[in-house]
Amino acid sequence: MLPILKINLTTNQTEEFIIPKEWEKDFIGGASLGARILYSHLTKELNPLSPESPLLFINGPLSGTNGPTTGRFVICGKSPATNLWAESNIGGFWGPELRKAGYDGLWITGKASSQVYVWIQDGRFEVRPAAHIWGQDVYETQETIKAEIGVKNARVACIGEAGENQVLYASICCDHGRMAGRTGLGAVMGSKNLKAIAVQGTQKFEVTQEYVRLRSESNRMLKQDNESRVMNEVGTAGAANYAEYLGAMPSKYYQQGVFENVDNVSGVKMTETILVGRSACQGCVIACGRVVNLGDGQKRKGPEYETIVGFGPNLLIEDLHEVTRLGELCDKYGMDTISTANTIGLAFKLFDDGKITLQDTGGLVLDWGNFLSVRQLIRMIARREGIGDLLANGARQFGKSFNSEDEAVQVNGLEVAYHDPRGVSGMALSYATSPRGACHNQSDYFFVDWGHTHEQIGINFYERQAQAEKAANVAKHQDWRTHYNSVVICIFASVSPEMQVDLLNAQLNLNWTIEDLIKSGERAWNLKRAINNRLGVTRQNDKLPKALLEPYQEGGSAGFVPDIQGMLSAYYEARGWDWETGKPKKEKLIELGLDEMVKDLWE
Amino acid sequence: MTTIFPSEAWLKNLEAKINSDEKYKEIAKNWEGDLFFFIEPEGNLKERLTFYLDLWHGTCRKVVYKPDASDFPNPTFTLTASYNNITDVLTGKLNPMTAMMTMKLKVQGSMGYMMRNVPTVLDFVRVAQEVTDEIL
Repeated sequence: MLPILKINLTTNQTEEFIIPKEWEKDFIGGASLGARILYSHLTKELNPLSPESPLLFINGPLSGTNGPTTGRFVICGKSPATNLWAESNIGGFWGPELRKAGYDGLWITGKASSQVYVWIQDGRFEVRPAAHIWGQDVYETQETIKAEIGVKNARVACIGEAGENQVLYASICCDHGRMAGRTGLGAVMGSKNLKAIAVQGTQKFEVTQEYVRLRSESNRMLKQDNESRVMNEVGTAGAANYAEYLGAMPSKYYQQGVFENVDNVSGVKMTETILVGRSACQGCVIACGRVVNLGDGQKRKGPEYETIVGFGPNLLIEDLHEVTRLGELCDKYGMDTISTANTIGLAFKLFDDGKITLQDTGGLVLDWGNFLSVRQLIRMIARREGIGDLLANGARQFGKSFNSEDEAVQVNGLEVAYHDPRGVSGMALSYATSPRGACHNQSDYFFVDWGHTHEQIGINFYERQAQAEKAANVAKHQDWRTHYNSVVICIFASVSPEMQVDLLNAQLNLNWTIEDLIKSGERAWNLKRAINNRLGVTRQNDKLPKALLEPYQEGGSAGFVPDIQGMLSAYYEARGWDWETGKPKKEKLIELGLDEMVKDLWE
Repeated sequence: MTTIFPSEAWLKNLEAKINSDEKYKEIAKNWEGDLFFFIEPEGNLKERLTFYLDLWHGTCRKVVYKPDASDFPNPTFTLTASYNNITDVLTGKLNPMTAMMTMKLKVQGSMGYMMRNVPTVLDFVRVAQEVTDEIL
């Protein structure tokens, strides 16, 4: 991979960091390599919002090569929401453009003395004032900067007001509403007075002839794939009807397992009513992005599954237009829709329970389905006004403010996404053990519980409400997805393991096997665990919130709750983790070549 | 009488079962669409096999065994699977969702319609499994 540019915003000094070859071999790229690079820098004492806190933007080895969904990159650091390992995977065109500019990563530390943005063009680095764009939304920011630098085809990654105000779930946006949403890295960027990073380059990528042949074949197969065609035709929210049928789509803040009018907010309905186009990230043949028109003539980003469920069923809002607008508002402010909707859902529940009063809300009525109140709350969160200042700290902290921490549906400070482990039990382990809190992307195991197996690598089908017997399968899936996050490719890309290893070998001139890729995933999963162990994580952190352990009374998952302790016990066994401490055992670390971590964790 | 898949008798039994199964009738009450199946030769099946079902509001209006594709040029869905994969679905060895999500069953047609009606699809498979006594 190309060098990483280290930028100290306090001193404006830069230097190139050459990635050690053995790290590339062991961790491939993306989030895995990011974890290796930042391992020794992420200490327990480090305040994620301090100048010393690192913010790493990093590509994978196939970034921008037009391979199947390889246009993505990852942003890593220490999360201000969880105080643990942070990573967020993002599409768009920014990562490949950075590579064209001569780098495969940016490693940012320090804090600018005033508000700035960074402009990188073909290896040239410049820091520019940004006071005049502070307060602009993420779309305005991109346009202003492109006009200012006079380069229309530059790509801009930026924050909105939420990042400026250090909302703990602020996101980083690039291009057409592509978001690094989870773990609050937008707040880290804001804490550095860094509004945006614009990049543009002219370097050409060298690709081998064999790679060209394989990428054509893999893209052709990917385009024909049933799942890709669902994503293209009806978007990620095309699965809403089925998820609701299974009782795997939470509503009314995880209290209700049915949402009768799910079709009103589904991806299918969107396609039939407001969809006017589709959008794709760099080189992607799936094009799951939605472009919609709400009748005002404007083309805007349409919501994906998480946004739809978060602002729809979760808050009992049935109007797809309003759900679209709420998602758009979050995007403009640069705020993760999963965490925003989850935290607002908690506020609605506590209001319902009488634990929050009109005095707390400044007179705002938080009744289910009231999208006007939601709209107001989103503004207040982004600007940290009134009760928004408490909500901006996420569900865990918000619940704590009202003596109701256990009502918050979160794990380790990251709000749970909208795939309910009572309907798809593998998600119990995905949420409880993910290195970044309750994350659905480190292992989107709900797909496996629906039936998407990977038999070639031993990821098989277990009944969707099976318990401990699927624990080892979840671990394998986590390793496989960790591989995805290292390449970096999209989890929606159904590309066979055989094809993935062929693509990597063809382009990088290696002799990797499928086992090497899975082992690399396992190595990185354990490395991230080691990072979190050093940050204080023990077995007690591997848990589910109370709400997910109470059975639904109705719907497709009525009466079922995951046996989380039994599942964890089997999971620890499969992982080779120590039940007493929650750390990977010495022999597991040595087996994975993580000898340095043995010293740090065990000596 | 034992029903062997694939056979015309199996298809006729499937038609009869669909038209008498109350559960299917309820779940599939909104389904409007015909299916054209291609079963690719494998194992005991030596030649490509086709069959057709016209499903409408929880009933089966028509079945045709071994039709020519040109007889039904625009079916709502065209489903293609190898013989082993289709028999694995019929015998419960292969989850129908797995078959679709791993391309063991290729689907041509509106994916949105399919996603909105997954319960109907799954119950259709249940009915087909129930009329399958033996595999060729």
